[in-house]
Amino acid sequence: MSTIAFQTRLVRAELDKGLRLMWRRRALVVAAAIVYALTYVGISLFIGGGHLVKDLMVRTLPALLAVLVASTAAVEGCAGISEELSGGTLEQTRLSPASPQLQLLGRMTALAVEGLAVAAAVGIVFVSAAGLDINPRPEALIPAALTVLDALGYGLIMTALVVRVASIGAISHVGTMAIMAFGGTLVPISVLPHGMQIFARFIPTTLGVESIDALLAGRGLAATWSGGTLPWLLVHTAVLLAGSFSLYAINIRHAQREGGLSAR
Amino acid sequence: MSTLTALRNEIRKGLIFAWSERLQILIEMPMFAVFVILLGPLLGQGENLASGRVDWSLNSQTTSAMVLWFTPFIFFYMQVVKMFWRLLGEIQAGTLEQVFLSPLPPWLVAAAGRVAAAFLETLFVAAATYAMVSVFVRIHLHWTVAAVVPALAIMVAAIGLSLVIAGATLVYKRIQIVNDGVLMMVMIFSASALPLIHVPGWWAALSHASPLTDGVGSLYNVMIANRSVDSAWGVGGLVPLFSVSAAYLLAGIGAFILGARVAKNRGTLSRY
Repeated sequence: MSTIAFQTRLVRAELDKGLRLMWRRRALVVAAAIVYALTYVGISLFIGGGHLVKDLMVRTLPALLAVLVASTAAVEGCAGISEELSGGTLEQTRLSPASPQLQLLGRMTALAVEGLAVAAAVGIVFVSAAGLDINPRPEALIPAALTVLDALGYGLIMTALVVRVASIGAISHVGTMAIMAFGGTLVPISVLPHGMQIFARFIPTTLGVESIDALLAGRGLAATWSGGTLPWLLVHTAVLLAGSFSLYAINIRHAQREGGLSAR
Repeated sequence: MSTLTALRNEIRKGLIFAWSERLQILIEMPMFAVFVILLGPLLGQGENLASGRVDWSLNSQTTSAMVLWFTPFIFFYMQVVKMFWRLLGEIQAGTLEQVFLSPLPPWLVAAAGRVAAAFLETLFVAAATYAMVSVFVRIHLHWTVAAVVPALAIMVAAIGLSLVIAGATLVYKRIQIVNDGVLMMVMIFSASALPLIHVPGWWAALSHASPLTDGVGSLYNVMIANRSVDSAWGVGGLVPLFSVSAAYLLAGIGAFILGARVAKNRGTLSRY
């Protein structure tokens, strides 16, 4: 078997494990989707003064879907590693010929599938039930794919911190709330005060949501590129993914050296 | 005597846990202030936002009501979320079975171990939220001893809800996302007790079943509207306030006992 085929098989094994675990807790995945949808309705009612403002929801729904992917990646990524730490099986995973990064790639692919499934279900429900007038444009798939990777990068960072930081639950909670507050779920990023917009663009998924909003509003891909949002999204995603994979590998090696791969 | 000693030990354990989680509290602390500051100017502004217009100034009256609304919610958050994580930690570590060796009922061990710590954490975070928001806008609250009445009812309701979640945790384990969602619903529905937005009829009706609505309503009556705490009916009236809190406490005890029984029968009290 060639090296590439062998590595692919190792990633597939992790992906398979992640999807099996997701299927086992499918009721909770559905519950999470419902909970997020209700939360979004609640926030929309607050901001709408007791009724839903569809024109506003058209602009904030992509941000909610990005939150779903990011939150799933962070919460389930952290929980997965945390359970393996407590159960003592994280040590066993290091007996695998796969590198930590390769194992993480498999885990995160499974989480991406879960996050996208939840986001797709919630998106379809809102567009059809609330009658949101969203014009899907094929070119929006480019920033959408980058936003998913950006969201996964955030989830990876949180997952990488589990073996080093005891208070990761609080950190990931605050992180997800920050994505919700500044990532466009409450209000479109363009209406935030200027200083807050600059801060918000450092938050994962914000640049992606901004690009998607611009494309859905009819601005072309070229305009989004020349406006700087798309190139910055590319940079943000690349830095976040590279940083998170490196951080995970460093933390796993550190834990292996210090005996921190099982319950503390 | 042994009951009191056991209870004191559980409270002490809860406080030790809370101290060990001080970094978490510090990390979470700005979250509430940021939400008050961010959400304040946006309430009811949907149409303006859709057309790209928004006035980001903070209104003192609205912000005062929001701080009042968020403070009991902070207690709910501290009681419910932290109790869930602590219980999950005990399940994962395998020490939960030991709780059942205590002379106290297990639901009391779980609740008592958290409530004092949650109260102190809330005081700290609420004070910090108050201070942070005060930098941007003046907060007008009428400080009165009468506020202790709704505060106690809110604490009872929060203990009840935390026990419901704890009971579900014993059976289903990884339910943090449901946990977060339930809290979000509690927060959203409790807003109907405040004159922040005009809520639809179904929302107002449903909100009466929420554990926080009448508590927030009563706090608003005494701390902002300068009304008496002893009115029997209406939003924040003593009858709905205490009957809802008592109902949640009873439901919580029942849910915890049921969850513990299911987990014991399955032999999963300390198996993840």
